[in-house]
This record gives sequence, structure tokens and C-alpha cells, in this order.
Amino acid sequence: MSSPDNGFLLEIKNLIVFYENAIAINNVSLNFREGQITGVFGANSAGKSSLMHTVSGIILDMKEKEKRKGGERITWYGEIKYRGEDILNLKPSERAKKGIVLCPERRQLFSESSALENLKIGGYLADKTQGKKTLDYVFSLFPELQKLKYREAGFLSGGEQQMLAIGRALMAQPKLLLLDEPLLGLAPSVESRLAQAIKQIRNETKITIALSEQYARPLFPVIDYGYVLENGGIVLEGSSRELMDNPDVIGAYFGM
Amino acid sequence: MMQELRKERLDRGIKVRADSIYAISSLKEIMFLMGPGLILVFGLLVLPAVVSPYWQRVLCIAGVYVLLSISFGFLANYVGLVCLGGALFVGVGGYLSGILNAYFGLSPLLAIPLATVAGAFICTLLLLPCLPLRGVYFAIISFVYPLLAGRLIAATGVFGGTDGIAELDVLTNKWVNIYLIFILILVVVFGISRLVNYEDLGLVFRGVKDNEQAITASGLNITFYKAQAVFIGAALGCFGGAYLSHLYGWAGMSLFAIDFSILPVAATVVGGSGILYGPLLGAFLLIPISEALRAFGTLRIVFYAIVLVFFVVFWTEGVLEYVRRKYEQFEHWVRV
Repeated sequence: MSSPDNGFLLEIKNLIVFYENAIAINNVSLNFREGQITGVFGANSAGKSSLMHTVSGIILDMKEKEKRKGGERITWYGEIKYRGEDILNLKPSERAKKGIVLCPERRQLFSESSALENLKIGGYLADKTQGKKTLDYVFSLFPELQKLKYREAGFLSGGEQQMLAIGRALMAQPKLLLLDEPLLGLAPSVESRLAQAIKQIRNETKITIALSEQYARPLFPVIDYGYVLENGGIVLEGSSRELMDNPDVIGAYFGM
Repeated sequence: MMQELRKERLDRGIKVRADSIYAISSLKEIMFLMGPGLILVFGLLVLPAVVSPYWQRVLCIAGVYVLLSISFGFLANYVGLVCLGGALFVGVGGYLSGILNAYFGLSPLLAIPLATVAGAFICTLLLLPCLPLRGVYFAIISFVYPLLAGRLIAATGVFGGTDGIAELDVLTNKWVNIYLIFILILVVVFGISRLVNYEDLGLVFRGVKDNEQAITASGLNITFYKAQAVFIGAALGCFGGAYLSHLYGWAGMSLFAIDFSILPVAATVVGGSGILYGPLLGAFLLIPISEALRAFGTLRIVFYAIVLVFFVVFWTEGVLEYVRRKYEQFEHWVRV
């Protein structure tokens, strides 16, 4: 259960994704290094979500649904290697069992179930002791959820819902946690609170984290390595420091 | 590495031209645009003239199911109301026309339109209480009414009870019979297609389907608009019922049969739900097939079920969506 020698938990090579004739991801190669936080930044329609869907395998479901209703044809090419194993056409459930867990954009909580039930559903893959341990960990990470655990998820605030979504993903015992726009629509104070939590997860659990976001400022200090996507292609990559010093990045993604 | 091939789907040149001002550049482009409509028009007008009297009768009954399917497709795909009230509409329309004809002595040519409008009004009123709700309530209520009406008539013995209202006037000329419903189908399908695609009212209907909150926020009363849509859908069904009662010369409890509610769903599955012509095609396929299989007795239900399961599982987009894609687009392999 160790990654190849280069230290990359997940390697993407020459990935191309088409929605019918529109190209969503254009020949992208990127790597998620084990035990680190990798950020993928870009504006709307840059291809962040498509990337997350392709890595988590959700794109297989999307393809099937579109096919069923005679909609657009989704195709992808390239190579995705997880611990040296090709997972390009593996079902999302199989990927989740291998430890690739997506925390989806807009949270997608089970809004009529309580917070605790949400976490328990997320913990379906975990055994009893793991589940209990992770539950305690989630509550130590987000103490506010402890008090709200019997409240319906739909009645939680946006920030609490996002915490719950991350907690639910953690319950699935991820090795690679994919966070798709974890700060979407949140207040600035909650943004920095979550950014710190993401860093804490990396430090305490050694889970490899990949996150995508449009607005980079709260997340740049916590990532180890970052990519900047534009129109489906990578225009820039580098360590957190390198990106933060880049004037183009400052202009485009810090809003300064 | 980059030797993989991808099947690219492109609009045909003629489709691209026909979408713009160049549509009138030549006869070919004009025919491309009008072809499907013309095939439908001429198909429906010529078909009854070339088949045997027995099949003409089948086509008349198929026509009623076509109207119901259009009504279902319109409400489900363009207004977002899943309506299982086909039997309600047919029953109300059929009985109303029967009553007007037998008890008040109106001729069928007067009784049918009157029953259509009055029936649609009654059905809309009956369904009004569940219109503000979304989801399964509307479907359930519309499904339950005909069951209730059937039992009520059987128990109280009104309108002839289980015997129904017999000896209604029939339209004796078979050409009037068949072209009445076929021409109406054409008017309805083109009319509704125009309504939902080009008229403001149709725009609101589609908006109600997509997002009720946004429609309310725009200052429109959704219940009012849904009631209008239900009225249109119900009028189609009520006409079908009134027409049937004068085709048989009899209005009875079988007008409330569940078939009228279920078959439109099946027709929509087979024909394709994307466009209005899908349910029409589905009904025209299913009824004659069902008729042709009459020799197999009850086994035809099995065949029917197999066809439906096949479409739901393997060909969800339906026949028409597939045909439309082939008509408008072509595919070729390109290097990735």
C-alpha cells in the first residue's frame, strides 16, 4: 500500500475530456504528491470540476446518464494512475473503496437526515472501530458539529454544511480526499476557519488532499503545490510560495 | 500516445444553413426544414385512405390515444406535471357528451365540442386543489379520480349505472369519423408545438417546469398558469372521450378505464420524451402493434411489457430523439 518511488499518490498524464465536441480538459498532466495538499485554481469553466469528476470517476455516471437521455457524449483519454495502477475507467464506487473520496461541489448533503446520520452514511465503507475513531476525529476537528449532530443537515448554516460535507468525506476513510470548491459561498471568517481545518487534516491524518477553488487567497497559504487552470489547460504550476510571488496569479486570483 | 480516435458529432451543413437566413436559399434547405412536418401531415392524411375498414376503426381509436399521449407529453415535458388523469379526462368528456346527446338531444357535432370545453373546465376544477403542490401528489390524485368516478357510477346507478348510456347518435360517415380526429391531431400537435416554442405562455409553462420559485419571483401566479396548462391537456382528453362515446354509440364505465392513463406513459417512453412528436409517434406505434397481436390473446401483454422494458433499459432516449439526431447530425472519426 505504498505509492511509487516518485512519491506521487495520483498521476494524471495527458488527460483530455470532451463534452460532445467541446473540450473541457485539454491535455493536462498533473500529480498529487502523497501527504500533501495540492490546489487546482481557475476561473469558472476552467475545467476544475471536470477534473474532479474525472479523478473521482463521477464522470462515468454522467456519461451514462447523458447517453440514456440521448444527450451529449462525454469522452476522455489519457492516463490516471493511482499508486501506479491505471484507474481511468474504474467505477466511482471502486475508486472510493481504494480511497479516492470526493467531497462534491455545493456539498450535496442528505438534507433531510441529521448531521450525525450524514456522517454515518459517509462511513459506510469504514468498519466499526474506524468509524467511531473517525467520528470522534470529525467532532474534534469541527466542534460546532458536536452540538448540532441531531439537527437536519438542511437546517445548518452554509459553513456548518461544508464542515459536515468534509466530515462525511472523511468518514469514508479516504487516502486521497478531493475537495471540489470547499469555500463556495462562505463568509470570509468561515473561509479561513475551513482552510485551517484542511491544513489540520493534512498534518494529523496524512491524508493526501486535492482541492479546487476559484478564489485562491484563503487557500494559498495552506497548499503545498498548486496548478492554475485556464480554458482546460495548465498555464502555471509551482509551490505555494512560487505561485504567491507570481504577479499574474496575484492579479487574477487574489483580487488585488 | 495521441493516436486515439474520437467519434465527432457535427450538425449537417444543411441543418446549419436551415437554422439561419439561408433556410430560404434553395428548395433543398426548405424541404429539410419542412420535410418532417410534411411527412407527418401527408402520412396522417393518406394513411386512413389506404387501409381496410377494420384498420380505419383501429386508427380512430389510436387517434384518441394519440391525443392523450400528446396531452401527457405536453404536461410532463413542458409544464412539469406528471398527469395520470387520461382516464379522468376521457371519462368526463365521454359521459358529458353522452348526457348532452341522450338526455338533452344535442347532435354529436354540438355535444362533442361542448363536452370538450365543459369537461376540461370540470377536470381543471377537480385537479385545482393539488396544483400548488409539486411532486407525486398531482399524479396520485389525477390517477385516483377515475377509479372513484367508476365506483360512484356503479354504486349509485346514475347515468345508466353499469350499463352506461346506450344508443347515442353516431357519426355515420366513416370519413368524417376518421378525419375529424386525424385533422384535430395535426392542429393540436402543431398548435402546442408553436405554443411552447414561440408564445409567451409557453415560455412561462417551461419556466414553471424548470423553477417554480423563479417564476413566482417574477410576479406570476404559478397555480393560475398550471391550471391553464391542465385545461389544455384536459380538453384534449375530454375531446377523445366525447369522440369515443359517439364512435361506439355508448358511454359507459369503461371510459374510466386505467388504460387511458397508462398507455400515454408507455407511448412517451417508446416515442421519446424530448419533443412533442415523440408521444405521438409512440402511440401510433403501440396501438396498432397491440391490435396486430390480438391473435395471441393475453400473451400480447407479455410482448408489450417486453417492448417497454427494452425501451426503458436500453433505449431511454426513445425512437424519435434517435431519428432526429440522425437527421440533423452526422458522425465521423477524428484524431484526438
